[in-house]
Amino acid sequence: MLLVITYSQAARQTLRNVVRANESAVRRRLGRAALFRETELGAFLALRLREKHGGAVQIERTGPFNEFEDVPKAVYEAAVAYENRERPSTPYAKFAVGRPHPAPEELRDETL
Amino acid sequence: MTLGADAKRRRANGEGVATTPLRDHVGIVEDGMALSIRGALASAARSLGHETPADDRIAELRAALAAESVPEIDLSGARRRVAETSGEEEALRERVASLRGRVAALRDAGIDPESAREALRGATRRLSEVETERLAAEQALDAARRASRATRDRRERRLRREDRLANAERRARRTLADGIANEFERAVAIVPGAGTVGSRPSEFEGDAVTAALAVVRVAAVADPVVLDCRRFESTAAARACLDAPVVRL
Repeated sequence: MLLVITYSQAARQTLRNVVRANESAVRRRLGRAALFRETELGAFLALRLREKHGGAVQIERTGPFNEFEDVPKAVYEAAVAYENRERPSTPYAKFAVGRPHPAPEELRDETL
Repeated sequence: MTLGADAKRRRANGEGVATTPLRDHVGIVEDGMALSIRGALASAARSLGHETPADDRIAELRAALAAESVPEIDLSGARRRVAETSGEEEALRERVASLRGRVAALRDAGIDPESAREALRGATRRLSEVETERLAAEQALDAARRASRATRDRRERRLRREDRLANAERRARRTLADGIANEFERAVAIVPGAGTVGSRPSEFEGDAVTAALAVVRVAAVADPVVLDCRRFESTAAARACLDAPVVRL
């Protein structure tokens, strides 16, 4: 999907109008951002927005996120284990100590 | 708050912080007109010299927004460069592959492949150059994207400020309109035409012309109001009722 984010009142208003007028092309509106279908029409609408409002419009491309394909097993397992911890007040950094889970510093700048 | 001569004149026309000139609302009163009652009343209140506690804040926000300029972000050049070099690299890879094939085919056929081999060497060199160019283009785009993040942060802050300004202006208009609600209600009863005012001035039921006439009566009007409606017997009667200079069509 195409993620369109607006950064000005004018761009936000145009986005609102585009979303209203093109229900079939827009999957989701999230305030001043929206997810467009990844079709030529979606791209056309997104590019029109950027042509009109320049840097006040950001366009990114998103894709389905599959935690079993896109993420190392250790990261997935750490997330699940941490959310099922016994003591809710334990911060993750402490939780990871003595367990086979990556420390926050290891996770921080490691690109997927 | 002291005003310069220019600001005084605008104030007299109902234009002020968060309000537009009175004539934009009721400069022409004609049948079938549309009227934003809150906006019109807010302008009328300004013409009477009314102020609100939000005025200074609004002026501050406006000045801060006007003084700031956020640089434009345009990464299209960097993106185009990546697309161009990637495309060229792709084409060269295919050329190298096909030249390799040709060299092998010539050899197998017992023909001297030297000129094909030379072409292959040239293409391989060029591919290596273009590969480097493509990597450089990608790095440049990455760097430009990172840099644009900070500009986007500024734009976000600016947008929040713009929203705060819009809210403050709306609050100011409401305060101004509420401030002359009683005068408006009395004026509606006096001017010709039917209309009732609800608990808030914007809750008006009735003809927009009636409301507009009432606004004119309440306001301090400097420039003549144009009347294109059949409410008054004479221009003099209109002037007297509306307490304003009037031109009838």
